[in-house]
Amino acid sequence: MVFPRIDAYSALKSPIHSFDPRAKIISFSILIFSFAFLNDLKAAAFALGFSLFLVLLSRLPLSFVLDRIKVPLVFFISILVIMAFTVEGAELFNLFGLSVSSEGVLLGTLIVLRALAALFLLLLMLGTCRFEAVLKALYMLKVPGVLVQMLMFSYRYIFVFIEEFLSMKNAMESKGFQLRGKSSYSLSILGNAVGVLLVKSYERGDRVYKAMISKGYTGNPKLFIKFNMKKSDYVLASLLISLAFCFHLYPVIL
Amino acid sequence: MKVHISDGILSSSVITIGWGVTLLFVVASLWWSNKHLDIVEEIPKFSVMTGAFFVASCISIPIGPTCVHLIFNGLLGVILGPLSYLAMVIGLTLQALLLQHGGVTTIGINSLNVGLPALICYFIFKKGYERRISLKTLGLFLGGFAIVLTVVLLSISLVSTGEQFKEVAIGATIAHIPVMIIEALVTGSVVAYLLKVKPEMLPVEPDNLE
Repeated sequence: MVFPRIDAYSALKSPIHSFDPRAKIISFSILIFSFAFLNDLKAAAFALGFSLFLVLLSRLPLSFVLDRIKVPLVFFISILVIMAFTVEGAELFNLFGLSVSSEGVLLGTLIVLRALAALFLLLLMLGTCRFEAVLKALYMLKVPGVLVQMLMFSYRYIFVFIEEFLSMKNAMESKGFQLRGKSSYSLSILGNAVGVLLVKSYERGDRVYKAMISKGYTGNPKLFIKFNMKKSDYVLASLLISLAFCFHLYPVIL
Repeated sequence: MKVHISDGILSSSVITIGWGVTLLFVVASLWWSNKHLDIVEEIPKFSVMTGAFFVASCISIPIGPTCVHLIFNGLLGVILGPLSYLAMVIGLTLQALLLQHGGVTTIGINSLNVGLPALICYFIFKKGYERRISLKTLGLFLGGFAIVLTVVLLSISLVSTGEQFKEVAIGATIAHIPVMIIEALVTGSVVAYLLKVKPEMLPVEPDNLE
């Protein structure tokens, strides 16, 4: 278990890092929605190329990006492989008596391309500013305050509970416990450990509430970060949003 | 294979239905908690529990050459009750944003796939409790049943995107059989543990327990 530090490299300097968080969230979300529903193979390939270009522009370390995409990538590739063998259509070639259809390969490739493009954009949107700034931007974009606060508090306590669970795990392993999916005894002990985690969080919730009330919490978020939109933010945002539409118009025009 | 679908796989109509249903449930949950609970008190308590469930679903359990992650939607339904759908929306949003499990466009449909079973489990637990079925057995059953429901909903969302996804759905179903068994065992044990040390976390009246 590792800490989910999506914003580990948010302090770097690049055009994407200095993009205003509100404008970044709006324009990148529109781009993600646009790329996720591309139906043209060439447009999807361009989309992937474009998002790769933005990744290079952002100077996020390659190891960070690869580490983040490896799990989804395995999933995308398995869809491509399953589709190549099972979708019916013209036979492309024969592998040990199983036929690979060109329709399956094309559909699978389209899915891999647009899924990867959307994934890179998501990484860029979140990896280039602090997560707190993303949440504050969401609040300023009129996402209901209750939801933003739930996201914010849950986010904070994730780190607390990971630490707590790791120390519980250490304690259990030092006493000879081994977590194995095949042993029902091991799983019932894990169940007890999860139970402890939940009881601790239930009790902590009570204390957190009392502590927050004592500090004047009224249920409304207070914002201390100030954002200011510069001219360059408007230009970049409108450029990205118009690109999002162009990717869908492109197959129609050409 | 995982239960949370990424961006770029499903069709726009499935995504739209997912967002529509999820928005409806979020509004209903907020309306319900405004009416029955003090929202100022609920925000910190609910969020701390949601954080704990997030961490619990990050535990990787080694089995054979791979490892599985549990979803805990059955347990979440039993403990958080009517607010479990909302907790799933918050949890999945954080999973998509922090870990890239699932995607942004699919938060709606993924929440529906795990949140609806959580609510159903809550109602079954309450009914079973009224009928005086052993709560540990109920926990065991609901842990597995929640996964069955989730996999059925997942397969429906894949196949309604296109007939070509039929085999992908079958693959996902097979991959989730071990998850279902492990989740049932762990959930049963968590419920038994809570019953012993903290029965007020379960939707039961402590006086009625023998």
